[in-house]
This record gives sequence, structure tokens and C-alpha cells, in this order.
Amino acid sequence: MISQASVVIIGGGIIGTAIAFNLAKLGVKDVSVFEKSYISSGSTGRCGGGIRQQWTSPMNVRLAMRSVKLFERFKLDVGMDIEYYQGGYLLLAYTEKEVEDFSENVKMQRGEGLDVVLLTKRQIAQKFPFMNLEGVKGGTWCPTDAHANPQIANIAYAMAIKQMGVDLNTYTTVEGIDTQGGKIVGVQTNKGYVKTNIVINAAGGFSHEVGLMAGVDIPTYSERHQILVTESINHVLDPMVISFRNNYYVRQTMHGSFVMGQSDKKPAKGNDLGHTIEFLEEMAPKMVHDFPFMNHLHIVRQWSGAYDLSPDAQPIIDESRSVSRYIFAVGFSGHGFMLAPAVGEAVAEMVVYGRSKTTDISNLGMSRFASKIEKEHNVV
Amino acid sequence: MKSYETIVVGGGPAGMMAAITLGSKGVKTLILDENDELGGQLVKQTHKFFGDHAHYASVRGFEIAQKLQEKIFQDTNIEVETSATVIGIYPNKMVVYAKNGKEFKATYEKLLISTGAMEKQLPFINSDLPGVYGAGAVQTLMNEYGVMPGRRFLIIGSGNIGLILAYQLIQAGAEVRGIVEALGKIGGYAVHAKKIKRLGVPIFLKHTIVRAIGNESVLGAVIAKVDNNFNIIPGTEVEKVADTICVSVGLTPLSELAEQAGCKVEYIPQLGGYVPVRNERMQTSNPDVFIAGDLSSIEEATTAMIEGKIAALEMSRNFIKIAANKKNIENEINDEIKTLALFRSGPKSAKIRTGLEKFGINIKHVPKIESYGVQIGPTGKLRAIVDCTEEIPCNSCEAACSFGAIHIGENLNSTPVVDYDKCTGCATCVTACPGLAIHMLKEDLENSTALVGIPYELLPLPEKGQKMWALDEDGNYVCDSIVKRVVKYPNKTNIVYIEVPIEFSRKVLSVSFPKKESPFVCRCEEITLDKIERVVDSGITDFEELKRLTRVTMGPCGGKNCKLVVLGILSRKTGVPISKLSHGTSRPPVKPVEFSLFMKGSDPT
Repeated sequence: MISQASVVIIGGGIIGTAIAFNLAKLGVKDVSVFEKSYISSGSTGRCGGGIRQQWTSPMNVRLAMRSVKLFERFKLDVGMDIEYYQGGYLLLAYTEKEVEDFSENVKMQRGEGLDVVLLTKRQIAQKFPFMNLEGVKGGTWCPTDAHANPQIANIAYAMAIKQMGVDLNTYTTVEGIDTQGGKIVGVQTNKGYVKTNIVINAAGGFSHEVGLMAGVDIPTYSERHQILVTESINHVLDPMVISFRNNYYVRQTMHGSFVMGQSDKKPAKGNDLGHTIEFLEEMAPKMVHDFPFMNHLHIVRQWSGAYDLSPDAQPIIDESRSVSRYIFAVGFSGHGFMLAPAVGEAVAEMVVYGRSKTTDISNLGMSRFASKIEKEHNVV
Repeated sequence: MKSYETIVVGGGPAGMMAAITLGSKGVKTLILDENDELGGQLVKQTHKFFGDHAHYASVRGFEIAQKLQEKIFQDTNIEVETSATVIGIYPNKMVVYAKNGKEFKATYEKLLISTGAMEKQLPFINSDLPGVYGAGAVQTLMNEYGVMPGRRFLIIGSGNIGLILAYQLIQAGAEVRGIVEALGKIGGYAVHAKKIKRLGVPIFLKHTIVRAIGNESVLGAVIAKVDNNFNIIPGTEVEKVADTICVSVGLTPLSELAEQAGCKVEYIPQLGGYVPVRNERMQTSNPDVFIAGDLSSIEEATTAMIEGKIAALEMSRNFIKIAANKKNIENEINDEIKTLALFRSGPKSAKIRTGLEKFGINIKHVPKIESYGVQIGPTGKLRAIVDCTEEIPCNSCEAACSFGAIHIGENLNSTPVVDYDKCTGCATCVTACPGLAIHMLKEDLENSTALVGIPYELLPLPEKGQKMWALDEDGNYVCDSIVKRVVKYPNKTNIVYIEVPIEFSRKVLSVSFPKKESPFVCRCEEITLDKIERVVDSGITDFEELKRLTRVTMGPCGGKNCKLVVLGILSRKTGVPISKLSHGTSRPPVKPVEFSLFMKGSDPT
């Protein structure tokens, strides 16, 4: 642990390490990253691993498209194979209204340059003959959507930044952010004090608490989401499949196992990450209904992770108005992993150039909550 | 034509013991055997025999043959004809045999037939390819003539012969790719099976061989799962690479000569097939003809020897004139019958008992002492751990212990009970046990290590100070170990003492030289030791990160098999004791379950 750093990043998840990686690439290497547990212990290591570009707001689409570009080069840039697989995303629609909404989205997304199409039920059946499409009216299909192993991606970033000279500290808890007259002067951890003028809050499920450490009330809160993984079988399923009506997402990893989850009816608030039998009881019938071959597939493990939710389920990437150079990249609402490479790049640019140059993220600031909130609908 | 009081046809353990007994009673006896030397199957058995120490338990098969041969050659009442093939039993009590291309005749008053058995065959496609052998043939080539018929073996049948053959092949330096067994359980003794499992030989239960692969000779085999009716389950076929396939699916008695001698024969599958009808004293339906050994029922050498003795004693009564001597023989016979009944009173002899009941021979129940399972004994003391929980007729450990620390009792099918107050840690039982089921253990709590003494019958022997792999009951890598001591014993069951971290004191049961190929640590995900070490060397020293990066412990077993091994590697690499390392979080389901379990509305039946 160093005693003075240009930048302190709170959180060693995919967002924190991606920011550190991009800072180091821009030449800022005296950076301290504080992770209170091990790398990938938080939401990153618990997430589903989908990489989606089909969002309902143009800015989300752009950020995700930039992210996919960076994921495609991840192995070269960061130096590790993260089981990245560009198998596409299939979103299922069940009502005429849903088809209509999807078709609006597709129009907007295509306008942003995304290769995405509307599929009829017949086209879906041809592509995925093993699925039971009862009740499905159609869907959208983006072949460049992808998925990868988030744990390995997180560790890959961590190993890369260590090599680049970043001061990465695991099992180190931040206890306070020291400010004087609206400026940051240092960060107190359980292992010592580090002087700094720039702090980045990338604390995921703990973003609100870390905000309060500098007196900033970030409108985020944590919610538990459950997930499971099966035994591995031969590769059958290319894309991540999402059904908003049936409330699930599922993908087959490169390793052969299926990872899937849902939004619980009454998700537990906070960071208490237990698991329930109801989750398995709710998942099983719908998954077996839509994917009949899963009936005899074995569930190997269930766990849960925290969604760091914002009021509109979209990320908050901004610098505090009250505390100078207190930057936050929080509120990812369950899609932080997929955006991380682009967010890492954008936040590093905010630190170095004062603004994100590569991708426009101006809509993701705190000011948007002053006006009417436009909630992202496409979230499981 | 020569005349004898008795003729013994077949010089295996039953016939030799009979000849010795007859000779000792002064009965003029001819023993005939078609092989170059007496001994039958004993001459190719390099393993130590189970049984009663009074009947050569703990002695290796070929050594038993040598001892019996010596007795026979010393006795002037016994004439030996080897390389003599009996071609028939003819009227007027005449045995005709061929030797050196000439015909010989001999007559008897009483005849003992102990021709043994031959191996059953198993029909499968290409079973005529060079490279398909009976297990006995491989033993003959390897152990008698010193010829290895192949390098990579697949064995069909997990009876004692198949299990023993696998062990002998490994001792001879061959590779055993597996044992295929159609039943849902291992046929032979558990201790024999454990011996080879520890050496890493897999046993494929509920499998059969479908075909041998190859044109000129065996290149491999297709094996497949079978259902409860032994039908092949389509789609379960897998290929195994092997250059030799050994079939050991059981033995069938050689009853032809007995039939020619006028003995009534019945088909009794529990005894092995067509067997001569006989009474408790081995007398057949022809009062002048007796049988013994595998011909009467497929068992093992000890029971064959006792049967040979019983038959011989009964035959000798005919030639003894003094009443008092007759009475003594009667007592001897009854003692032997009792001993034989003891041997056959265990669960492994259930089939034999059922078969013998058809002849009206009932085995009395003999009480057994209470079993304590595997006893761990007092931590910290150098002591013997006896892993012998299957009831088999053997008491070699009890006989070997000079301190009375091991108790089995009258019924030698009881499992041994250890009195750790009396155990001195001398390890004599370890080297005596034919099943290699005993090892030594001593924990050193201060240094967090354990000394494990493993019986070792392979060559070369490791040397003191050498680094070895410590393996578990399935031959899987557990941890690295250092050889602390190697104790050589005259019976060639040596003991290798290794030091392992104390966490593995109960897991380590075997030892091997480190191999070039890295062993699987996590078998679910097929993660090797080498891969884990490389990742740790790259800077990942946290178990949680190591796990996520390599998937080790994340497979269907949930790390139950390998987590401790992984922590051991991490501990060795980082110097942090296992107790101080994070070991992850346990998550449901503890065992993988199908989605179908949670299908609401499905019929629970």
C-alpha cells in the first residue's frame, strides 16, 4: 500500500479495476485500488456474464456498443482469455404490445448502428428448434451481443493493473474519505491512510454508503438477485436468451454449464446475500417449459449477488458537485459487467481530460434525476 | 502296468495336500500332473494368500507350492509323474496317461480327481484377435515364463482373479487401463479391489466389453454400460486404448474325468457348473472315487487344500487296519470339516453354501466377534490402522501380532479388532496382511505433520529423503510427501514411511513416484496440479480467486473431493497453514439435483 496516490478507487470489482486499467494505460499509475475482500467477491463475481447492446435508451446502446468493441479486443488488451463468446442475445416478446415496443427499440438501435433485427416466431423456431416457443409472438436478435466469464475478466484486469504498477489492495476496507473545504485530501482504510485528491466510488452494492463517507447522498440502493449454474453439457445454446414476461435470462457458458437467473417477486433489500428454495422452485418450471431438455439437467450451485440500483435502473457516472474530484461510477442496476470496459475508459478520461472523450455519457449524470425519471424497462 | 493304493490326478493345491496326507498315513500313492512341475495355479500366484495361518496364510502362492513340493519329494510313499496327461479313466480302476509320447497305465484302489477348473469364455466381437487372453494365460506367461504379453491391459471381470491379475500386472510394470464388471458391485475381495484402486486403476461397474478393436491384433476395446438384465445400453459405448484384453469372468470345473470314472454329475451354478455329486467327505457316487478343489466347487487354494486333506484321510481309512488309528483319522476328518466350515461361514461363501446344501451339506453358523469398523486409535501414537471391514476368511494379522493386539477369534470371517493399548507400532501385521489393508500412522501435532507407513510391493523402492506423491484411496494425488524411512521385509512386503501435512493423515493411503504427467486435482473440471501451481505462481494466492480463475472445486462435487487438496497446494506454495486460508462458501444444492425435482404439479411417484 502506497502512502500517496493520484487517484484512489474504492472497489476492486470489474468497474474499479477497469477504471484503474484505463488510467494506467493513460499513464496514471500511482493509483490505489481498495477491495474489502478478494477480487470478484462482489457483484461482478456473482453476475450472469451477459454482454448486451439492446437497450431502450440511445446512450445505453452507444456505451454498450463501445463495450462490445473493447470486449472483442479484451484478450489482446488485457492479456487473458475470458471465455468471451459472441453468440448473440435473443429477447422474447409475448404480446402484440411487446412486439411493437421491441420494433420501436430495434428502429432506434439500428439508428445507432447496431446490427439487430426483429424475428418472427417461425424464424426463432428455425434458429432454436430445441426451444418450446408456446406463447411467443416474436423477438429481437442481435448477433454481436455476447457473454463472457465475469470472474476471470475481473481477475484479468486485476492481474494486468498489478503488472502495470497499480497499487491494488485486497482485504482492505475503506473507513472514511477525508475532505477539506469541498476537496478530497485522503482516504482512511483499515490498513492505513493514503493521501489523494481524487476518489472514484466504484463500490457496487456499497455505493450509497461510500457516497455518504464524503457526505454525498447518491440515490442508489442494493437488492438481492439470485442465480444458479448447472452441470455442463455439449454446446447447444449460442445466445443469452431473455424473457421479460417469464422473468428469466439464461446463457450457456463456453464451459458448457447454463447460468440463469430472475428477478424475485420481492427482492431482499441490502447486501444480505442469502439464497432461497423458492428461487429454484420458480426457476425450474419455466426453464423446463421453455427449454424441455433441461428437465434432467442437474443444478450444481445457487447463489446471489447485489444489484446496485439507481432510480431509473441506469448507471450514474458523474463527478460530485459538492466535493470536487469525487467521481462515481455506480448504480449499474445489474448490467455493470457488460459496460465495464467502456465505463473504465470513460471514467479514466474524466479523470485525465475532465470529460469522457470516446463515448458520450453526459446523460448518465446525477442531474437527470432533477427532471422526470425515464426508467430502463429491459431489465431482468 | 503299475498298481497303487491311491492315485491322485491333478497336482494343484488339493491334489498335493491329498498326496502329502496319504503319504503320511503310509498309503502308496501316485500323483499325476500334466505340467512340468507340481503346484497347479499356485506356481503363478505371486500374492500372499488369505486364510488361516495354519494353512499358509500370508505366504505367497508359489512359495506354498514349493513347500508342498518339498514335502512330497521327501515322502517315499509318494511317486510323482509330471508332464503326464491323463487321457482317460478306464474300467477295472485303470488310469491311462501319456508321457514323453508314450502310453502308461496304472491301477488304483481309491482315486482322487483334483483336476481343477478352466476359465470361462465371454463372447464379444473380435474376441479371436491376438491380444485377447484368459487371465490365467497372462499369469502363466508373466509369472512363470517372464514374458509380458502386452503393455496396456484391459481386464474383463472383477473377481479375485481379475483383481489379482491387475495388481500383478502393475507390479510387472504394465499399465492397467481398467477393469470392466457387468455387475453393480465388485466380485472379489474388497481388499484386493482397494489395492489396485489405490494404484489408480478404475473399475467400471455395470459395464461390459462390446468388441475388441483392431485388425491384426488388439488396439483397444469398446465398452458400454449394461442394464440390470446385462443388456447393453445404446449410446453409452466408449473406446478404451489397450493392446491386451484379459478375460476373467469365472471358472468352470473340469469334470470330464470324474464322469468317466462313473461319478454322477449335476449342474449346480453356485458351485461353478457341472460338478460331481459328493458327500461331506469328498466321496462321489462311485465309492472308490473322491474329488477335491475347484472340481468340487470353485473356491480358492485354502479350501482346496483342506478338501484334499479330508478326501485323503477318508481314502486312507481303507488302508488302515488298526482300530485305534482309524479312530484317530475319524477325529482328524471331523477337525478338518470344522475348519472348512469356518472358512465357508462368511458372506463371501454364501453361494458355495447354497450349492452345498443341494448335496445335503450344511454349514453350521459360527458366531463372530463384534466389528468396530475402521478404528482410528489414539492420535499421536505410532500404530497400525486396519482397514479391513469386509468379512473374509483370514486371520493373518491376528497370527502375526506377537502382542495380542489384534483379535479375530475362532470364526476367521470376523473382521479384526485392534486393542491400541497393546499395539506397539511394530508393523508386523502391515507386512503380513495379504490384502495390504493395514498401514501405519503417527501424527505429530507440534509440527502439524503425520507419518504414514504404507505397504509397498513395487520396484524400485523409494529412498529416504525422496519426494513422492501421496495418493488417496482411488490413486488420486493428495499432496507431496517426503520419504522418512523405508523398511524392507523378507516377505517382500516392504513399508514406505512418508511425511504428509497432518490434514491429510486420514486421506493418504498410497504413494507413488512423481509422474511427468500432471495429476488431476479437480476431477470434475479436469484441473491438473500443474495448472494450479502455474496459476499460483502467476500471483493468484487467494483460494477464492484461484477457484474462480481455474474452476477448481466448482464442479458437480462442489469441491468435496478436492478442496482440501487445493488448499494443501496453496499452503505449500505460500507457507500459510491451511487453517489460516479462506476455504470458500458452501452453497446449495450440496449434491447436484435435476430441475425435475422442482417441477410443481409433477407426480412425486
